[in-house]
Amino acid sequence: MKRIRPSRWSGQLLQARCGAGIAAARQPFLLAARSQSTSSAAAHDSSSTTSTLIDSPPPSLPAPSFSRAAQSAKLAALHARLSLSKKIPLQTLARALVTPSADANPNFNNTNLAYLGSTIVNYHVLEYLVCKWPRLPMAILYEALRAYAGDASLQQVARRWGVESAAAPGEEVDPGLLQWKAGEEQLVNTRWGYVRSDKAPAWRRGLSSRVVLDNDFGDQVSSLEAEKPEYDTLQSEAFGSVVQAVIGAIYTHCGREEVKAFVKSHILSRELDPSTLFEFKLPTRELAMLCAREGFEAPVARLESETGRLSRTPVYVVGIYSGNEKLGEGAGPSLDVARRQASMASLKAWYLYSPGNKVRVPSDMMEEGAKPWKAPYIDIGEII
Amino acid sequence: MDLRSLIRPASQLLTPLRCLSAPRAVTAAVSLPLTSSRGHKTTARTKRALKISPHDSFLPSRTTEFPAADSIIYNPPASEASPAHTPFIFLPRNDPRRLAITRLRSTASNPTAYDSSQANGELPPEMRYKRRQPKYNLTKEHIEEMRRLRNEDPLTWSVQKLARKFECSTVFVQMAAPAPPEHLQWLKGKLERKMERWGPKKTAAREDRKRRAEMLYRGEL
Repeated sequence: MKRIRPSRWSGQLLQARCGAGIAAARQPFLLAARSQSTSSAAAHDSSSTTSTLIDSPPPSLPAPSFSRAAQSAKLAALHARLSLSKKIPLQTLARALVTPSADANPNFNNTNLAYLGSTIVNYHVLEYLVCKWPRLPMAILYEALRAYAGDASLQQVARRWGVESAAAPGEEVDPGLLQWKAGEEQLVNTRWGYVRSDKAPAWRRGLSSRVVLDNDFGDQVSSLEAEKPEYDTLQSEAFGSVVQAVIGAIYTHCGREEVKAFVKSHILSRELDPSTLFEFKLPTRELAMLCAREGFEAPVARLESETGRLSRTPVYVVGIYSGNEKLGEGAGPSLDVARRQASMASLKAWYLYSPGNKVRVPSDMMEEGAKPWKAPYIDIGEII
Repeated sequence: MDLRSLIRPASQLLTPLRCLSAPRAVTAAVSLPLTSSRGHKTTARTKRALKISPHDSFLPSRTTEFPAADSIIYNPPASEASPAHTPFIFLPRNDPRRLAITRLRSTASNPTAYDSSQANGELPPEMRYKRRQPKYNLTKEHIEEMRRLRNEDPLTWSVQKLARKFECSTVFVQMAAPAPPEHLQWLKGKLERKMERWGPKKTAAREDRKRRAEMLYRGEL
């Protein structure tokens, strides 16, 4: 079996203009007389372009030209700050900063790189979450994924990298600034996911169906025109796409191992406490059903200690036991609240089981000389 | 000690003199004594009263002979139990922690128990609360009878009454013998009329209670 060596591709893939002719057929109105190009593919008709240049001044570009990327101090600083490999040219980094809201042409904006990056980020985060907390319910898993790889979190990452947005995108702007604007309708669809069929709108949108349908975070993708998103949403999408595009660029130019290390150090290194994501409905009943399913004795609440029963602010400490084994403990100002707290603590203890802090994930096996794979713990599923 | 015992009589002598010299200016200051009124006797007594021997868990283990080579003092501060600590029975079969705890428990003392009383097999007292106690005492005829009564006269044969008669839970009555829809509609209307009569305080209190319950389930309380 041959190993794919993306590092050897970088020369070809850098020339994103290769397929420009194909894209032009798809979007002719956007590609009208773009003289901005660094690729050899478009070089053969440079004589005709220069002739038009002499006749009339070219229309101003929607985003800064890539030829100015090498002169930008901001881009060089960002490249150095992220300790990116020398294989990644500044032009690619400049392209990662052009969002589709500034330049709708997919040959010049970061859409494709961002899509590639988002698949890589979501894959690495999801495999880590599934191996680290194998019993997380689906809803919590989606939220945990969003907490690591959602647009709002990626925006924070981009801000920490020092990415700043330009006041308005344009040709004269420094290419080291994020080219983004809100308000205009999105010319290019930047959302990816499986659209549900419109034939059965009354069908229940269950959680397990979201594994296949909808997008990576379990959100519905509608083919219809949605209502106009808010400014903050658009902004976090734009900043998030920068992070995704940079990760996509690292994968394209440097390969799998580098991108995994980058995701690990920039995204998986962020701390998330999944116990804060839970919202229960009937914790006592859920715990009883868990014990019945697993064959444990029925849970019994026992009063461990109390203080100030006749005062205004009593505190009760309740423990939940199954037989002689203690499942959890909770404190509260009334017996009922304390019992419910204890049930929730026990349920969290079940859901947040972790095999350890150093879990192996499937992508570890792709390293050379990896130890033989040991199957991770796989849970049988949710309780109710 | 000696100095203080000297100062106090001296200051007591001084106070009337100062009162005479400045009768109006510093009345507030005069009322405060120069030295604190607590003498050495009360200090010592308080100290003695507050002197509590440390809890056993702070002391080195006495199970071995006295100067033990090394002993671990484990006394964590009182805090909420973290859900990151998986209880023993929640650990999967092949988890190494499970094997380790099983091995520890097979020895004489049980170090995994939370305190000494638990190790002896004594558990804290059970709480009294409503919980499922299945009896499985009803047959098909019982349920038909229950349905007949509920359909004939849902006012007399309320859920509570049927549950008491057939010795089952109210939830079971609601599932097995639901009331006719017009009766449910009437009950709903009755409740709505009752809720309309509630004043602003009662309505707000109900809403707050609901919100508090939601916060509790989200873990924000």
